[in-house]
Amino acid sequence: MFLEIIEVFTSGLINGSVYALMAVGLTLVYGVTKAFNFAYGSFYNLGGYFAWVLLIPLGVIGGYFSVFFMAIPFFFIVGYLLEKVLISPLRKYDDWEMKVMMLTLGLSLFMDFGYQAIFGPRIKSLPGIIEGTVQVGEVVLFQQDIVIFILSLSGMLCFWWILNNTRTGMAVQAVAQNPAGAQIVGIPKDFIFAATFAISTMMVGFGGILLCQKNFVDPMGSTDIMIKAWVITAFGGMGSIRGSLYAAFILGMLEAFVGWYFGMIHVQIATLTLLLVTLAIRPRGLMGRE
Amino acid sequence: MRKTGLLAIIFTFVMLTTTSVFAADTIKVGVPLAATGAYAGSGDNYWKGIEMAINEINKGGGLLGKQLEVIRFDSQEFAPEVVMQGANYLCGKMKVASVHAGWAGWGQDIRAYGKYDAPFFCDDGAMPAVDVYKSDPEKYYNTYFITDTGGDQANSMFNMLTALPYEYPNKKIVIINTDDAWGMEVGDTLSKQFKKIGWKVAKRETVPYGINEWGPILTKIRRINPAIIHIEIPSSQEVITFFRQFIKQPTNSILSYGWSITPLEVLTTLGKDADGIVGEMPAGMPAPKAPNAKAQAWVDQYMNIYKHPVPAGSWIAYTSVMVWADAVKAVGDEYDFKAVNKHLKEAGYDGLQGKMKFGENNTLHAQPAAPIVHYQVQDGKLVALFTDPPLKPYGEYKFQMPRWIKK
Amino acid sequence: MSLKRMILTLCGFYCVMGIMPLFFGGTDYIMNILIMILIWAVVASCWDVIMGFAGIFSFGQVAFYVIGAYASAILSVSMDIPPVFSIIMAGVITGLVGVLVGLPCLRLAGPYVALVTFAVHMTLVPFLRGPLGRAIGSGGSQGILTIPPIKLFGLAFSSDQLVPFFYLTFFLTIICTLVLVLMIKSYWGTAFLALKDSENFAASLGISAFKYKLMVFALTSFITGLFGALYAHYVGMLSTKMLSMDVFTILMIMMVIGGIGKYPGVVVGAVITVTLSQLLAPLGMYRPLIMGAIVVVLVLFLRDGIISPIIRLLSPLQRVVVEEE
Repeated sequence: MFLEIIEVFTSGLINGSVYALMAVGLTLVYGVTKAFNFAYGSFYNLGGYFAWVLLIPLGVIGGYFSVFFMAIPFFFIVGYLLEKVLISPLRKYDDWEMKVMMLTLGLSLFMDFGYQAIFGPRIKSLPGIIEGTVQVGEVVLFQQDIVIFILSLSGMLCFWWILNNTRTGMAVQAVAQNPAGAQIVGIPKDFIFAATFAISTMMVGFGGILLCQKNFVDPMGSTDIMIKAWVITAFGGMGSIRGSLYAAFILGMLEAFVGWYFGMIHVQIATLTLLLVTLAIRPRGLMGRE
Repeated sequence: MRKTGLLAIIFTFVMLTTTSVFAADTIKVGVPLAATGAYAGSGDNYWKGIEMAINEINKGGGLLGKQLEVIRFDSQEFAPEVVMQGANYLCGKMKVASVHAGWAGWGQDIRAYGKYDAPFFCDDGAMPAVDVYKSDPEKYYNTYFITDTGGDQANSMFNMLTALPYEYPNKKIVIINTDDAWGMEVGDTLSKQFKKIGWKVAKRETVPYGINEWGPILTKIRRINPAIIHIEIPSSQEVITFFRQFIKQPTNSILSYGWSITPLEVLTTLGKDADGIVGEMPAGMPAPKAPNAKAQAWVDQYMNIYKHPVPAGSWIAYTSVMVWADAVKAVGDEYDFKAVNKHLKEAGYDGLQGKMKFGENNTLHAQPAAPIVHYQVQDGKLVALFTDPPLKPYGEYKFQMPRWIKK
Repeated sequence: MSLKRMILTLCGFYCVMGIMPLFFGGTDYIMNILIMILIWAVVASCWDVIMGFAGIFSFGQVAFYVIGAYASAILSVSMDIPPVFSIIMAGVITGLVGVLVGLPCLRLAGPYVALVTFAVHMTLVPFLRGPLGRAIGSGGSQGILTIPPIKLFGLAFSSDQLVPFFYLTFFLTIICTLVLVLMIKSYWGTAFLALKDSENFAASLGISAFKYKLMVFALTSFITGLFGALYAHYVGMLSTKMLSMDVFTILMIMMVIGGIGKYPGVVVGAVITVTLSQLLAPLGMYRPLIMGAIVVVLVLFLRDGIISPIIRLLSPLQRVVVEEE
């Protein structure tokens, strides 16, 4: 029994690190720019396809090392342009939040079916970053799960630290709290918006590459990813990176233990119930600011 | 402002009436398959078979001297009104002479196409669809199920599992199936059958689609250490991730994948790693060597065109077009639906694997000419171990002990 | 838009719709499209009233539609209640669910409302497929395949006779449209305008945002449920496939094309979207791709949807019409 609980706990940790990786970009961009990106899952898939194109048909030298190296400028530019071209023109309207949601929903439709049109409707698999397993006591783990765990945790903590301890981070926070005020004290608001969007896109692209090599690139999977990320960020408190981190691991654990004890079929209802109860008690999520 | 509405309606009117193209000397064939969404992969498998048959007929001079013209309809994810719209579009508007589908709506399709008379071939493989047919066989007389139901297929899986040349170390089975009609039907039938012969269904779990982390379930499986694990999830992602996580700490169990072995990605992704898994395909083509030269030529041609092994659905979708073409040839008029349906029901057809016939409930039950084929993955390929009915070993192929089973 | 103009527009639209069966009565395919336009125009209108007018970020519209459909189907199949009553009961049930969902979530901030209402949507799939759903008669994953037609005055209305069904839908559509128009132009409507301009000031005048939002939510849920039920008896079969993102996006596109909060723009949006979707159907996967691109372009360049440029174009004409009458 004890061993079983350890194993399920490990599963929960794996789930949690996967979720943290999925959600970090969304929470960042929402926290700072208040723009809700519905095409989030499609950018996650873009990461998967980016890696696939480079690795399989093109066969770049250096494998994943070059993929990550090229992904940094690629996703930064894509995100930056997206904000400049599509999102920022909408900011001047009163109901721009709703417009952004609509626009990104359209964009996600366009991107998802664009993938299908280009790459076909079937799923694609990527070669693993590292293969092989490690045995810790009685529990056997995939090496790549450990890599994902470390990367997602350190990524989240790193961002949290940057936001709270560097000048740039504080400028970003200032924009998040009061855009007009931030501009008055000389913070380039528009640039911060675009840069945040770009960095968030970069993070989701990275997440996409890492998780697609663990599972698959699924052209229809982006909605699921979006919804998962949405639930996690809302649960943790939209805009709170620490909250998202907690939320990811709490929901990951919940999924593992409910799945183990009651059956996988009850996981979704349990997750949503927890979300609704939490929001009823704390309307802005676990760590959301009033 | 009133004009806006008017303009919009005129726009609708003009567009809808001008889209139909009239060509006199072709025979229209409707193909409602999922081209987008979660079922697009399976839709693609059926489409390849249908396309091959149509091309073959057209190259051979057409049917009754006329070329076949395919009209496709995207059934998306089978929302009720989309299924109905498909029937109204293909049969009502385009007046197709027959409809060839694969997965088509699990019962909704029978109602939608039952309004018309054109023969409708579908591969719902589930009892609810047959139940709709049974509710009014006269109204739905134009429906043809090109494979057996989940229950019958599960019975065949049970027979195969008990016939394997392998001494089971215990009498425990774990069954994992999806929460749709197909998964439940197979899971129910298997657990009933195994209980009947005194086995213990140590775990029966119904799971939703989209699970990639199997840790909690595998934890339980490891404690049970069952003799058989049966997975019935008709979607490649889940069964691949299950296998990867299973194999990192395997139990002494025969891994039976049922229909879930058939999605193309399972083998292209896992390759030789999947060696040892058993699974089945209804109305399948035994492989790697086809049962006769004619069938082998067909398989070669398929591989030549599409560059991958024959997936589930392709061969039987091909055959359903041929069966219909044969009936039309015999009747001499593609729009004489009464006679075509009568011929389809009564005459039978001489297919690649022999003479086949639709049986009770207009279902192409498993039969020697359209057998349920049970495979094992050997050397990264599907190798037929048995065909059913009657359940008998196929060719000289032998069951290999999965490498994870320790004596 | 003035009340007169709004009613005139809708009148014109529905007059034209009303005579369509004279031309297409014999073509099932087109009748089917017309009926779906009528049903979706109302469902999308309700959504538009919630989102654009009352400013509630609800993503639960499809869920309410499906709840209405399933409620009526279960009532009429498992309990043998005549469809005429079960449809009304389904409306009431959906309205109640609307209030239940509205109570906690109308106090939340924008994206949270969206998430909570969408959570209702997401729970419906496992609920209807799971043991709970099967216990109340949802038919699990296979759905309900034998929903009886609506029997009224000795006539059966279902997808077998499309023209009578069209007029039944038409009749209901007009009633519901009138209710929506009256609501927009009533004291409620003014209250919402006040709330939109300045919530604090409106509150100081004794206008409770919460109360009005809840009332709108209940009313639109009721109408949505009613049309969901109508749809159920129309197609005669239901499955959880209705909850796929397809219906959701289609409704959303209707609003974007029509212009959010520009009622009755969404009605025109429904016509255009359904037509476009049908026309693009032969393109397979390029259909949603093009639809997505259209949404992006419309949001960017035509922020009030397709209706305002048309109004601007037709305004000289319109003035003449309005003055004449």
